[in-house]
Amino acid sequence: MAIKYVLLAAVLSAACAGAVQAQEPIKVGLSGPFTGGSSAMGVSMRDGVKLAVGEINAKGGVMGRPLVVVERDDEAKNEVGVQVAQELINKEKVVATLGFINTGVSLASQRFYQEAEIPVFNNVATGSAVTKQFPAPNYIFRNAAYDTVQSAMIVEEAIGRKGFKKVAILADSTNYGQFGKDDLLKALTAKGMTPVAVEKFNVKDTDMTSQLLKAKEAGAEAILTYAIGPELAQIANGMAKLGWKVPMIGSWTLSMASFIDPAGPNADGAMMPQTFIQAPTTPKRKAFIEAYQAAYKVDRIPSPVSAAQGYDSVYLLAAAIEQAKSTDGVKIREALESLKTKVEGVVTTYDAPFTKDDHEAISGNIPVMGIVKGGRVEAVDMKDLEGDKALRVKPKG
Amino acid sequence: MFKYSALVFGLLGVAVLPLLILAIFGSSSPYYLHLVIVIGIFSILVLGLDIVFGYTGEVSLGHSALFGIGAYTAGCMVHHQLLVGGSASGTIDILIAMVLGTIVAAAFGALLALPALQVTGPYLAMVTLAFGTIIGILINETDAITNGPKGITLVKPMLFDLRWLGDTIPMFKIKAALMKDVAFYYLVMATLLGTIVFVNRIVASHYGRAFEALRDSPIASDCMAVSVYKHKVLAFVISAALAGLAGSLFAYSEQYIAPNNFSFEQTIGFLLAVTMGGRKSRIGPILGAIIIVSLPALLGDLQLFRGIAALIAIVAVASGTYAQIKADPKDRIAILVPVLLCLAFFALSLFITNITDFKRSIYGLMILFVVYYLPEGIVGFLRKLVAQFVPGFGKTEHKIDVHGDAAHIWAPPASPALNANGSMIDVKGVVMQFGGLKALDTVDLNVQPRTIHGLIGPNGSGKSTMMNVLTGIYRPTGGDIQFANGSIVGAKSPDIAGKGIARTFQNVQLFGELSVIENVMVGLHHTYETGIAGVALRLPSAAREEQEARVRAASILGFVGLEALANEEARNLPYGKMRLLEIGRALALDPQLLLLDEPAAGLTAPDIKELIAIIRKIKEHGITVILIEHHMDVVMSICDTVTVLDFGQKIAEGKPATVQANPRVIEAYLGGTAAEPAH
Amino acid sequence: MEILFQLIVSGIAVGMIYGIIAFGYQLTFATSKTLNFGQGEALMLGALVGWSTIRYLLSLGLSPMPAYLLMIPVVLVFGMMQGAFVELLGVRQAIKTKSEAGWIMATIALGIIFLNIAENVWGRDDLSFPSPLGNTSLNFFGVRVLPMEIVIVFGAIGMMLLVELFNRTSIYGKAVVATAADRDAAQLMGINTSRVITFSYALSSMVAAFAGIMVAPVTLTGATMGASLGLKAFAVAIIGGLSSGIGVVVGGLILGITETLTGYFISTGYKDVPGLILLLLVLSLKPAGLFGKTAIKKV
Repeated sequence: MAIKYVLLAAVLSAACAGAVQAQEPIKVGLSGPFTGGSSAMGVSMRDGVKLAVGEINAKGGVMGRPLVVVERDDEAKNEVGVQVAQELINKEKVVATLGFINTGVSLASQRFYQEAEIPVFNNVATGSAVTKQFPAPNYIFRNAAYDTVQSAMIVEEAIGRKGFKKVAILADSTNYGQFGKDDLLKALTAKGMTPVAVEKFNVKDTDMTSQLLKAKEAGAEAILTYAIGPELAQIANGMAKLGWKVPMIGSWTLSMASFIDPAGPNADGAMMPQTFIQAPTTPKRKAFIEAYQAAYKVDRIPSPVSAAQGYDSVYLLAAAIEQAKSTDGVKIREALESLKTKVEGVVTTYDAPFTKDDHEAISGNIPVMGIVKGGRVEAVDMKDLEGDKALRVKPKG
Repeated sequence: MFKYSALVFGLLGVAVLPLLILAIFGSSSPYYLHLVIVIGIFSILVLGLDIVFGYTGEVSLGHSALFGIGAYTAGCMVHHQLLVGGSASGTIDILIAMVLGTIVAAAFGALLALPALQVTGPYLAMVTLAFGTIIGILINETDAITNGPKGITLVKPMLFDLRWLGDTIPMFKIKAALMKDVAFYYLVMATLLGTIVFVNRIVASHYGRAFEALRDSPIASDCMAVSVYKHKVLAFVISAALAGLAGSLFAYSEQYIAPNNFSFEQTIGFLLAVTMGGRKSRIGPILGAIIIVSLPALLGDLQLFRGIAALIAIVAVASGTYAQIKADPKDRIAILVPVLLCLAFFALSLFITNITDFKRSIYGLMILFVVYYLPEGIVGFLRKLVAQFVPGFGKTEHKIDVHGDAAHIWAPPASPALNANGSMIDVKGVVMQFGGLKALDTVDLNVQPRTIHGLIGPNGSGKSTMMNVLTGIYRPTGGDIQFANGSIVGAKSPDIAGKGIARTFQNVQLFGELSVIENVMVGLHHTYETGIAGVALRLPSAAREEQEARVRAASILGFVGLEALANEEARNLPYGKMRLLEIGRALALDPQLLLLDEPAAGLTAPDIKELIAIIRKIKEHGITVILIEHHMDVVMSICDTVTVLDFGQKIAEGKPATVQANPRVIEAYLGGTAAEPAH
Repeated sequence: MEILFQLIVSGIAVGMIYGIIAFGYQLTFATSKTLNFGQGEALMLGALVGWSTIRYLLSLGLSPMPAYLLMIPVVLVFGMMQGAFVELLGVRQAIKTKSEAGWIMATIALGIIFLNIAENVWGRDDLSFPSPLGNTSLNFFGVRVLPMEIVIVFGAIGMMLLVELFNRTSIYGKAVVATAADRDAAQLMGINTSRVITFSYALSSMVAAFAGIMVAPVTLTGATMGASLGLKAFAVAIIGGLSSGIGVVVGGLILGITETLTGYFISTGYKDVPGLILLLLVLSLKPAGLFGKTAIKKV
């Protein structure tokens, strides 16, 4: 018994010492795939996060304490993600975790954060179910354009603006593609349409002839896609091979270098919703792009969207911790749900982005449609990024 | 037997106790608790994989798919509300899920093994690899059943509800919510314990002996009526069942499963666990499971990784130095290589700054290191190390102390089933053609019951081919063979052996890693009637059978004069004794017809005398013998009839003395011509 | 009808790639009864080395066609070295350790290491491989074919014929055939069988690397390109038989064509399933493969 009290005293005094010195770092978890197929997104996201953390620490940290990122590779595998979550929560004792590229990993791992009452910031994963896994008090937040938003934009572009009557859906067989396909179907139904063909393919498939022929035979005027880079490139190249060219309109992954580079000229004209386009349209964006290019010695950011959202997620979290004046999970969640300071991010300016029931920072009006032109992503309509339209803010209420 | 199980259970206790105690620590840290649960689950699977990989020597690259099948069986039941999780009533449901997971995975295992194991070689590995892909696709595609790529969410059941005690459990200061995990932990550990006992009993039974035997010599197994094919399938199905059991638990422990949980890399991990931990043991696979589960964590933390690399380097240098002192000078360089590699590995770990980029390489290097330098795994390495200081350590495991007696040598006499013409075996016009070569060219052979029939001829005359045709190893190109009033052409070796034809081999085919008495007991496999369930439950009838088989085996060893060597490993016997052991093993089959292929080769003169006495006694007990032999004095002294083959054709037949004087025989042996008979 | 032909033509191109990788399995299996489970990675390394070479040659101002032709010998030599490396460092060492399965683990491990090296050298994203013949497809009565696809079909058959010709006519090739027929006898006749086995691995990887540079212009080139191709080639090797040259060609065509046809007529999600089920069927009915010879065990 006596030993216990001695220990307790020791712990308490250590805690006090920490408070006095005010130097104890704040640990933030970072979970993402840094190896394997989706690592390009993971690495860009990580680099964006590190950039923001570096800036914040240079300005004196949060509540006078430096931020420390504990990064773990979840390998885009569910079970590794679960293990990473357990480790970050129980061993590293992080105050919050950022990351998740893959919806599946996110769905598998978040439960543990929810149970431990530690906030999670999904900054890339887009599955609509991600923030709706748990009822309030919900610890899952997101600052990425989720699939419902994206598919509404895709369908609007194809049906509304372009006026296509017949569209085909091509989605990969992972949960990313299949969740997205469901959202696309819903968005089409809302417009009173059904696709003429719904096809899928496996990751690493080398031949898309069957899928494309089916879409072609059904008379599709456009192809709506939900897949990741390499397979999207196979679709673009496959269409060229068949001598059949219809517009590709799809999720934001059409902006990935792993689509644009291998597809080459065939990628031109592909359209996708973008929360961020590598163009210095606001001072903040200009600063971010330059800082990124300087820090990682690249001209084109491998996945600009991931990098920008990763960067913003850190600032959102930092603002919440400052407001909560605590690293306690419950208090951080409450602060996030009633964020008082405006956070000026790269994607948008976050003005009270979350409420108790709405954990999505990105609303339908924020992303713009991007288009691939000559190997780079530009806005479909550059006017979308000019003047007062440059900064689109989530409407209140 | 007592010593064997005592040792195993002793070691078991050593392995399991800390895990059990850990639960108390674990309960305060859900991270470690979850790790230990996953280790437990993987251990169940890896123990099962060891039966296939360690005992029968086949490689399965489909175990992660079988694991997935188990998980999805549980998951689909919950998904379709056939079972519930969560509430207290989940206790029964999780048990149902475990049973179903086991059964379904076993069924898929059978579906896979039945075609794939017909062929030897790397086929099982290749087919299981493809199977993994098919299962992945099926789980992904059958949305209606499996919810496709979206995955299934389950909830851990509350095995015992202690919430009435309040928020925290008194005494242990555990949050009530955590009790769910603690209870699940106990469920997993109980299942693991059950698995260990089950696997122990299987491998110690006649099945386990069969698994090891077929690995050492598949042909001899088949000829002892222990069908290689059937037993490999059996081993694979048991292994699949355990994978399914583990999978069903995994679904509940992770609470969310999706198709990409069960990948090829996971399969490699399982194989690595068996090899690295140590095959053919219980501790090894558990150790392996601990390693592969903690590997991502180890490779995720650079400091920890450096620490481990340093530890490995220290162990390597220590054991390497010791080995340098003890070893042959010529082996010194060979020993130096792994030690240097370990040091290089440590040096590398100091240089790496970004570990995630090289994770897979490190993983691959680990596999290579284990394959080259730790083929017996960590357990095997430690066993060897301890054996250096404690001579005889680890040897006592299989020791069988039973004394045989003359009364138990022979099976109760039965009147032999003869052919319609009164012969024991009747070969009619058999042709065996290999490409353009006729190894047997329309040969007739009629062997009368209770005789010793010699089969002689120069090398390459077709004697051994005849043996192989008679025992079903070759299927003759033409002709017919009547045995026990039925044709045996086209029958498989194990079936022919089961009908009562036993044999020995010209180039000895013993089960080298089994002890002498166990070799004979493989021959007695046909006397067992207990199934897998009986063995697992250790029914009294199973124990009785085993005891009877031991007495019988010891008696047979006494008969061939090997009783003193009963517990020696067969591969360590002198050559002559090996031949005698083969005869003893063949006798264990209770044959009606015994084929002896050059039994006197390599025997000394006194041994040959003994052999002649043994063969005579075999005949006295009503067993018909076909004897191939080059020692003419042996043939002439004991054979009743002799058939002479040359270039695949029968050139003479009759009483030994008549045959010996036949000019064609002399010509065949001495290379002269018929026109110039020997002077 | 056009569609059917289009599907079959695409299936043939894919099938020939499977076939030539499976041919590589055969080469080593014949001499050593082992095969490289990292064959897909051999293909991938060949393609990536080819990519770097051709980029270098293009930067010297060569036009795509001569650059591609000049690159071929470089890749073939690299492939041979890589194969010999796998045999010397992986298979041979593992077989020494008396565990039957060691070589399977060792070749898989080497495959993992090659993959990781490729990821670190060439990056994790897929690259596009300059095509020597351009990416404009040819139109034959409504059936569209990429020029590279025609090259794949004839290149694969040509490479297999070359290897066969070499084996039948040259003295070294005869040593390979002899070792395949009876390793012990070949050794007794003074053939250095272990060198023959190393050589067969070199040939096998060379063939895979060649397949890599043929397939690269029509698909994507990257560290993970080999895995699924290597797996499909296993299926082909089993369906066609591990001992028959014609078997792998036919097996490859069967698998390639069923894939595209199933994809179109049943469901694109299930396109791999019929081929793999065919594999299980062949194994249960004719375990040595459709064209394989049943080996006779020696006692």
